[in-house]
Amino acid sequence: MRVHLVTMPWHPLDLPSLQLGLLQRIVRRSRPGDEVSEFHGSLRWAEFLLENSGGRLRPGDYVAVGSDAIFHGLGDWVFSGVLYDDPGWGEARLKEYAAGRDVPIGTALAMRPYAAGFIDACAAEILAAGPDVVGFTSTFMQNVPSLALARELKRRRPGVTVVLGGSNCDGPMGHALHRNHPFVDHVVRGEAEYAFPALLDHLEARTAPADVPGLCWWDGTVSRANTETRRTVAPADIPSPDYDQWQAALDASPVLEHIHPKLVVEGARGCWWGEKHHCTFCGLNGTAMAFRAKPGERLWTEIDRLVRRHRLLDVVTVDNIIDMAYFRDFLPRVAGSGWDLRLHYEVKSNLTAGQLALLGASGTVHIQPGIESLGSRVLDLMDKGVTGARNVRTLRECENHALTCSWNLLYGFPGETADDYTPVIDQLPALVHLQPPSGAHRIQLERFSPHFTDPGLGFGERRPAAMYQHVYDLPEDELADLVYLFDTEPAGIGGPVERRLKEAVADWRAGHADSRLLFEEDGAELLVHDRRYGRPPATHRFTGWRAAALRRLEDGRTVPALHRLLTAGGHEVPARSLGAWVDHAYSLALLFRDGTTYVSLPTWGEPVRLPEGAA
Amino acid sequence: MSGLTGEGRTNGPAGEDAVEGLPGRVPHRRTGRRVEVAQPLDMSGTGRATAEAVRFLRECQGLGLGVDWRATGTPSYDPRLLRHLPPPTELHADPRVLASWRAGHAHGTLYHRRGPDFITVLDRRERGTAVRLTLDHPALHATFLRLLEPTPVAGLDPTEREALGLLAAERLVLTGGDWAVTLPPRVRRWPVPCTAI
Repeated sequence: MRVHLVTMPWHPLDLPSLQLGLLQRIVRRSRPGDEVSEFHGSLRWAEFLLENSGGRLRPGDYVAVGSDAIFHGLGDWVFSGVLYDDPGWGEARLKEYAAGRDVPIGTALAMRPYAAGFIDACAAEILAAGPDVVGFTSTFMQNVPSLALARELKRRRPGVTVVLGGSNCDGPMGHALHRNHPFVDHVVRGEAEYAFPALLDHLEARTAPADVPGLCWWDGTVSRANTETRRTVAPADIPSPDYDQWQAALDASPVLEHIHPKLVVEGARGCWWGEKHHCTFCGLNGTAMAFRAKPGERLWTEIDRLVRRHRLLDVVTVDNIIDMAYFRDFLPRVAGSGWDLRLHYEVKSNLTAGQLALLGASGTVHIQPGIESLGSRVLDLMDKGVTGARNVRTLRECENHALTCSWNLLYGFPGETADDYTPVIDQLPALVHLQPPSGAHRIQLERFSPHFTDPGLGFGERRPAAMYQHVYDLPEDELADLVYLFDTEPAGIGGPVERRLKEAVADWRAGHADSRLLFEEDGAELLVHDRRYGRPPATHRFTGWRAAALRRLEDGRTVPALHRLLTAGGHEVPARSLGAWVDHAYSLALLFRDGTTYVSLPTWGEPVRLPEGAA
Repeated sequence: MSGLTGEGRTNGPAGEDAVEGLPGRVPHRRTGRRVEVAQPLDMSGTGRATAEAVRFLRECQGLGLGVDWRATGTPSYDPRLLRHLPPPTELHADPRVLASWRAGHAHGTLYHRRGPDFITVLDRRERGTAVRLTLDHPALHATFLRLLEPTPVAGLDPTEREALGLLAAERLVLTGGDWAVTLPPRVRRWPVPCTAI
């Protein structure tokens, strides 16, 4: 059979599709007789815009609509007019939505007139290859572009089989996508390693795929959804992606000169923390939380192969959380390579200084530690398994090891109060030398999260997020099954404390660039140079037990614990003097206080800081 | 590699690169993340001194160190080749050259990274452009690495000379006065955010 694999906009332009890279291997492995080709519709769309807009709509605009506007559905909306055969479909609703929220939509409006011509061109190109099966992968805003093309393919050639899969098809979403779009023949729900080849076998044998777990298929005019399996794919069965066709498409594309391509690898699926304590707001793992990791040696072998083959040194991992074994069997291999790799990894926030140093040494210099909050009670409410003090420590160590730390400050958790935030907000000016969050954001209700599955946790009322009204022409009860994000009544803080939090974060972001708080050892003296925004420049000098105390507090301690440590270290310090000194250091904003725990804030290192987007 | 002839550092913070010395023949004094060069550096491009100066400034730039230095000599080459290096406080040339050097200089304007059997170079010296080069031809790869150390052109074999010609045409090597030196520093320390270069 001829199998054509398709990734549509808004797949990121600088990344190969891991999904296509895996499916390519999966099909070839299980069905060596099949011919597998790929269509990188994301690249094609960027090319189409460049060419047809006379260079006005550029890859940067693609990112603005396709990545930055995920929570407003702009990318899907661009293609809704094609799906519904009405170039003006949803435009009034989008404008109304955007006006009320101050969302810029000019670029999306400028792109929409090109969408129909693009879908035509895609259909012609794909059908020219004579496929028997066209398989779409859909994540984030790929649904409507994929549906629009699927519909056009079936209109032109009803005999071609259209299959849809990917994260957007997990659970009830996949069934809703299927039953509402008769031109989609099959929807693969969940992992495709076993299901997709099984479906292809049925298609070839012309038998009903009633035994393929999770699959949606048409039984006459009835949409059947097979029961999903609880069995997850074993790491040994997850292939190493094949990016050869992506590379060929990229090499031939004028988009190449606008982007910096990177490799994508997968070490693990699921979340080891979520298996024990599911963070209440997180729906990222869908229906497959079970953590499964490839051995570190194998992951390194895959990266070694891809780096040599594609001559790329930037590597993005898609793992939702790093396997802690990788600190033993993967990262040392990366560090030992001597190559100048640059890796992105999502990690847990409670890493040790040594683990963070290893990340830096291996070139894993872009991390996403899931910090989410600096208040311990709020972190408890979300079952994050980490304290505010620990998170501040992680931010400080990122400075020491020149690690770029991406994080958000989340709020709006049921049960939180202003009292949980006020002491943190009061201390944010002291943290201005540490990397700020991208913003303070109210949490959204995500499908598959505990907040979603258990209305008793505080989000009893929910409806599909407002943005879907300008994306899909479907009744609300169908949307309720099809979408990932939901609107709810706001929980947690609001009003003045919410405003203060947002203002304090904005001040942090504005004051960060030139702020420093640096340790320096000068003989027996420990100096702290304070060059933080909003304070007069100062140098503080500490000696003896005071210097030792400041060092001991780098790990975060209560005053009694600090006293024990100093005493054990040979310092004779009256408890009362120590308490008074801690108060003094806190008044100088050299310490962060989380309940009864204090953490030192000065850093030893000073990374080269550049303005965001300097490139 | 020649030995350390700099005067070394004083009182650097215990950052991870603080123990690394700066190679070469340029006398200097290092304080924390700043380096002060003792004497003016000959930037005329007429011999070894310029190649050594470029190597020194390149290594400082690779480590993200600030450098205070003065230049002597009038460049016999296009001074825009050096826009990725920290600009001097004084330069004997058209004042517009120094002004545009200062305006055009930024961290990460030109750098190289090493892979298993290739080198990637990113070149943003020309404002508004970002040229990516991959050096995977063995002779180009080897010559690029060899010329990290200032080298007399007369000492290169024919293959290396041909590679030198190609590297110079891509503006990755400075040649002059029979000496050649590689221009892009190796990334030794990623900035924050690391995606900014």
